[in-house]
Amino acid sequence: MNPIEIKNVCKTYVRKRFLSFGKQDQTPVLQDVSLTLKDNQVLGLVGESGCGKTTLSKIILGLEKASSGHVIVDGKDVGSLSKAGFKKIRRFMQVVFQDPYSSLDPRMTVSQILSEPLDIHGLYKDKQTRRKVLEELVKSVGLSAEHLTRYPHEFSGGQRQRIAIARALALDPKILIADEPVSALDVSVQAQILNLLKEIKQKRRLSMLFVSHDFAVARFLCDEVAVMYKGRILEYAPSEELFSNPQHPYTEALFSAVPVPDPAHQKKRQALTLSSRPGMEGHPCPFAPRCAYACAACQTPPLLKEVRPGHFCACAALPFKTKKSSFAV
Amino acid sequence: MISSAPVLDVQNLRVSFSTEEGTVEVLKGLSYSLPKGKVLAVVGESGSGKTVHALSLLRLLPPTAQITGGQILFDGKDLASLSESQLRKVRGARISMIFQDPMSSLNPVLTVGEQLQETILAHRKISKLRAKALAVRLLKKVGIVDAAQRYNQYPFQFSGGMCQRVMIAMALALKPDVLIADEPTTALDVTIQAQILRLIKDLQSQAGMSAVFITHNLALVADVADEVLVLYGGLCMEQAPVHALFKNPLHPYTQGLLNSLVSIKKKEDFLPAIAGNPPVPGKECPGCPFAPRCPHALKKCFKECPPLFNNKGHKAACWLLEEKA
Repeated sequence: MNPIEIKNVCKTYVRKRFLSFGKQDQTPVLQDVSLTLKDNQVLGLVGESGCGKTTLSKIILGLEKASSGHVIVDGKDVGSLSKAGFKKIRRFMQVVFQDPYSSLDPRMTVSQILSEPLDIHGLYKDKQTRRKVLEELVKSVGLSAEHLTRYPHEFSGGQRQRIAIARALALDPKILIADEPVSALDVSVQAQILNLLKEIKQKRRLSMLFVSHDFAVARFLCDEVAVMYKGRILEYAPSEELFSNPQHPYTEALFSAVPVPDPAHQKKRQALTLSSRPGMEGHPCPFAPRCAYACAACQTPPLLKEVRPGHFCACAALPFKTKKSSFAV
Repeated sequence: MISSAPVLDVQNLRVSFSTEEGTVEVLKGLSYSLPKGKVLAVVGESGSGKTVHALSLLRLLPPTAQITGGQILFDGKDLASLSESQLRKVRGARISMIFQDPMSSLNPVLTVGEQLQETILAHRKISKLRAKALAVRLLKKVGIVDAAQRYNQYPFQFSGGMCQRVMIAMALALKPDVLIADEPTTALDVTIQAQILRLIKDLQSQAGMSAVFITHNLALVADVADEVLVLYGGLCMEQAPVHALFKNPLHPYTQGLLNSLVSIKKKEDFLPAIAGNPPVPGKECPGCPFAPRCPHALKKCFKECPPLFNNKGHKAACWLLEEKA
């Protein structure tokens, strides 16, 4: 059984207008998203800000409700569960947030922070066992037992993120949802945390949903990657397949914009510019206004189609895309 | 020294913060010179002093911070000792700055146009109408479509990338000699980041302007800089022309930084990360600030701070280089 199955999830934010007699503004943020997180795999959700990647992870965690569609975690539909039923699932599904400065309570010691999930689920109540569990936990994320009595402000950003990861691991989960866990960290520390995430995924047989805006990071960590744009999945493929054979014009453009730390290479490269052409709003394809290949075929709504084995792409113009992509990285 | 005289010459710049635990020195003698028409990238992690350095160039430091030593020579004058009224003539007009977060650097209750116009009128004696015309031209120049309509809109009606374009327009309004860009693309998406970098680079080379480009991302530097200065713990670790730095990094910190960058070009199983954490300002090692994390550290490194060894313009502060020499 797959740890997470997302089936046709849609989400629309509704905002009542002031003095509007019941008129509402509707903003669709997720449109018909279907994804599967496979056992002991890392699924990357990559896209620019505002594409809906965080909303999707919140829906999976039950922090937001989907407008329609189903999220099935461990065989159970999250939307239809009772509070108690959901608590049971939560134990096996934990989260690491982006900013380690705001996701740890500044008035709690590390030991209290790590104990909280154990208290909520009533685990390891015996003092000595609890102590041992906590010590093993901090060691597994590369901190030491003496750190347990300290407060978050005594740690650097990278160490705080280690604490946040330890908290997520406290309940020995099967699924880890990591929402941009390294984007707030310094470059030299980012590599440490990425190594740690890879290590715990292998050691603990975790399945991970990894939300990121950074393609390089996604390539390092993910087994499968889904590219999102304006609430839709535009491309979805095994990681190596995607990076060696990007199909969607948007994915191509994103790859070409990633800076490469090599001045000689950088001079040769040309970034595909994504200039928006006005007057193409309301097009069936959300990317059409910025797309270099937009043509008559784009009048039909793009559906995710299998273009190569295991490689799905939502682009109606794909068969007509004559220019050979030179932006595989 | 490179043939042309430097536009900006920073010599032994020191900045301290006064805190409850005493004074903490965050810049410990930074020196560089910026030739005309060139881009110098200052690369550093959080706490390395890169932003403090940028703010001190225009004396925009918070009240708790002070320039305690050194000179900032610009156009024959020392900016560090200029009076506030003289400094006002330099800020914006001769040296201008782009900040990290475009959304919060614009005033939300004034239209974008008013803010641009204000900048122009503060330094030039021209009519409001002409200032407006100039502002619209500037908005067009930074790639804002329908500039005339956009002129009357507020910052919240602009996206992050658009706001940064407005900031760039504002910074370039008075044709400054030096542009200081403090992490101008950190808050933006990759595609927008690429556009903004190109824009800065194009405008910089068109106008023959010099620029100091501050970033934490070494990968960005490859695209925009002529020369790179790597900052760590308030000290310059390495300074070199961009090709030399990427081809042959001399300092272990620069080597570590380059190695720990995640590559999009190939899949790696393990990243050679730099162990340990960046130093907390005020609690650095008395010798080389990088010594506690350095895989090649000698005993000497913990006691004595290495000077910048200069090898044909490629400078690095590391004791290992002394032995080789």
